[in-house]
Amino acid sequence: MRSRRQHLPLRSALAVWLLVLGGCAGGQPERGPVTLVFKYARILGNADPLPALLRSFEAKHPGVRVKGEALPWTSDDQHQFYVINLEGRSPGFDVMMLDCIWVPEFARAGWLTDLTPYLSPDELAPYFASTVAAAKYGGRVWALPWNFNVGLLYYRTDLLAKYGLRPPETYEELVDQVRRIRAGERDPALDGYLWQGKQYEGLVVNVLEALWANGARLLAEDGAVFPDRERAADALRFLRGLIETGVSPAWTTAADEELSRRAFGDGHAIFLRNWPYALDLFEGKDSAVRGKVAFAPLPGRARGERGVGSTGGAHLGVSRGSRHPELALALARHLTTEPAQRAIALGAALSPTRQALYQDPELARDRPTMPRLLALALAGRPRPVTPYYLLVSATVQPEFSAALVGVKSPERAIADAGTRLRYFLEALR
Amino acid sequence: MTRRQAADRRRALACLAPTVLALGALTVYPGVWVLWLSLQHRIPIFDVSRFAGLDNYAFLGVDSRFWNAAHTTAVFTLGSVALEVVLGVMAALAIHAQRRGRRLALSLLLLAWAMPAVVGAKLFEWLYHPTAGLINVTLGRHSANWLGDPGLALPAVILADVWRTMPFVAILCYARLLAVPAEVYEAAQVDGAGRLATLTRITLPLLGRILLLAALFRTLDALRAFDIMFVLTGGGPAGTTETLTVYAYRALFQTLQLGFGSALSVVVFLLVMAVAWAYLKILRTGTVAA
Repeated sequence: MRSRRQHLPLRSALAVWLLVLGGCAGGQPERGPVTLVFKYARILGNADPLPALLRSFEAKHPGVRVKGEALPWTSDDQHQFYVINLEGRSPGFDVMMLDCIWVPEFARAGWLTDLTPYLSPDELAPYFASTVAAAKYGGRVWALPWNFNVGLLYYRTDLLAKYGLRPPETYEELVDQVRRIRAGERDPALDGYLWQGKQYEGLVVNVLEALWANGARLLAEDGAVFPDRERAADALRFLRGLIETGVSPAWTTAADEELSRRAFGDGHAIFLRNWPYALDLFEGKDSAVRGKVAFAPLPGRARGERGVGSTGGAHLGVSRGSRHPELALALARHLTTEPAQRAIALGAALSPTRQALYQDPELARDRPTMPRLLALALAGRPRPVTPYYLLVSATVQPEFSAALVGVKSPERAIADAGTRLRYFLEALR
Repeated sequence: MTRRQAADRRRALACLAPTVLALGALTVYPGVWVLWLSLQHRIPIFDVSRFAGLDNYAFLGVDSRFWNAAHTTAVFTLGSVALEVVLGVMAALAIHAQRRGRRLALSLLLLAWAMPAVVGAKLFEWLYHPTAGLINVTLGRHSANWLGDPGLALPAVILADVWRTMPFVAILCYARLLAVPAEVYEAAQVDGAGRLATLTRITLPLLGRILLLAALFRTLDALRAFDIMFVLTGGGPAGTTETLTVYAYRALFQTLQLGFGSALSVVVFLLVMAVAWAYLKILRTGTVAA
């Protein structure tokens, strides 16, 4: 009797544990018709075209259901979502929307289906070369380009016309135009040139464009970091100069896309570097700058190269864990066709990755600037295509920022970024 | 040991077992694992996994970004905790001295504290907005570049943190003040103590122990501060608001360097443990009378 009572607590403790463990057991596997899960970030715009596109895919593939699932809001959170779910080998989704800078990383990690064997030789020919470059890693294709972004210079047509100026081809010209217009306008609330200088991914994009215009690079083909140091430092010094001389406002160092877009949209600036999405907002009904905005290629440097906008955008990849890779690819193809991209361009402020659409009469009627965007899009240059892009970006961000706010000399910032990058990249070998 | 004692002992162990197991599984095991990770170059998504010895720690020793983050963490912790304690005591005394509307004052105070950190941070993001923010609009021509100036960003972040967490200190102090019997003050009055003397000789010493406890909680929180700077500045400009935990987040979750990121986490862990130990030592020796 006594011995049985002694074991009672032990037994009840065990029973509790078993109950807890039992509660953790998994559910039943799904059966029935095929369901494809599509992960994407909600598209902003006057009408989300995606539900209709998913329904039309279902109509073409009887017995297949497509479930669109929303990704978290910010790019960082989306990336983290994918990493956690894909590293856990239980993705639970088939087609995934990817920021183009992640494609090589995810391919290297073995999370994407190699699409090369499925694609016909010239299937990627209609896409912009820069988007195809961003979809490749190790000579294979891992994703289909879906929507497209390129850095542009927006300017106020009314102000430039008033002073008889043409959009600047070099930054030196831009600085000069800002001085002339502000001297004539005498409006202390009118800023010159707005861009993105907050410590985040957008800063890297802006600095890269400045580096390229000055003939410098962040990574060389052989993986060397800042192969043209002097020119890179000079580009940073120029950006710092824009803030120091007041051509760009002091708060540029805290500005992201939206902050700078709003200030320009309220009519408080002459020039703005931003993406194509902003134009729709400037042309909106209650916009203060409606009919007074146009875009041009980003300026180059007086004794440097022509200005080139950095490209961005989203790709569609097929998860390697997908149980229906061929259907998943069919869905990715369906969403990237010309009609689908046209529908997306009409319903949302996203630009297509297929060149032909920029001269499409139907699109041009709705968005008359599309044909002019084509030349800029063709010239666009992708950020370094490497599986370690996020590592590179996160490492250089505080250094670029330090040079912009003037706590470090540009040379020192470049050197410090280089030291840290080399240590991290060495660990990857 | 009698048979009865032995039985009690066994029973006690059986009852403790789940706790010990849970602590072991959830705290000790991951802790040791992180320590082990910090001695490796490890980036699982790229199949990088090799022993690195103390490489990661050695690199931290010369990594200016790490020292900058350590400095930022120290300034943020000292600045925010000091301000919170001073303002918290002032707020508690003010409410205690209030005849009417104490409840209203308390609820208003708690409102800030009840707000999720990220919401509080978003609120300040709008207040600090360079052109349309309430602060700069009020300042007019003297407006400042709150989150983009390397000299202002950290104070701005500290201020946002103080606004949200000062009520915690205030409430604790207020509760202690309520527990002080009125006779103590009457006695002081009889002895001819003025207002200042009452404050410095009676009230503050009585608050000492609870303040130390409040400071302990706040310090441990501040050392691990993450959300407020992550939302407001992302660590910028020039990394001036990047704390050790933000740096660790970037290494661990954004760039997936589990080895290097673990080394950073171990440093944060040791720092927090050392500070907690110091506080507990002061609390235990009872140098501060209650």
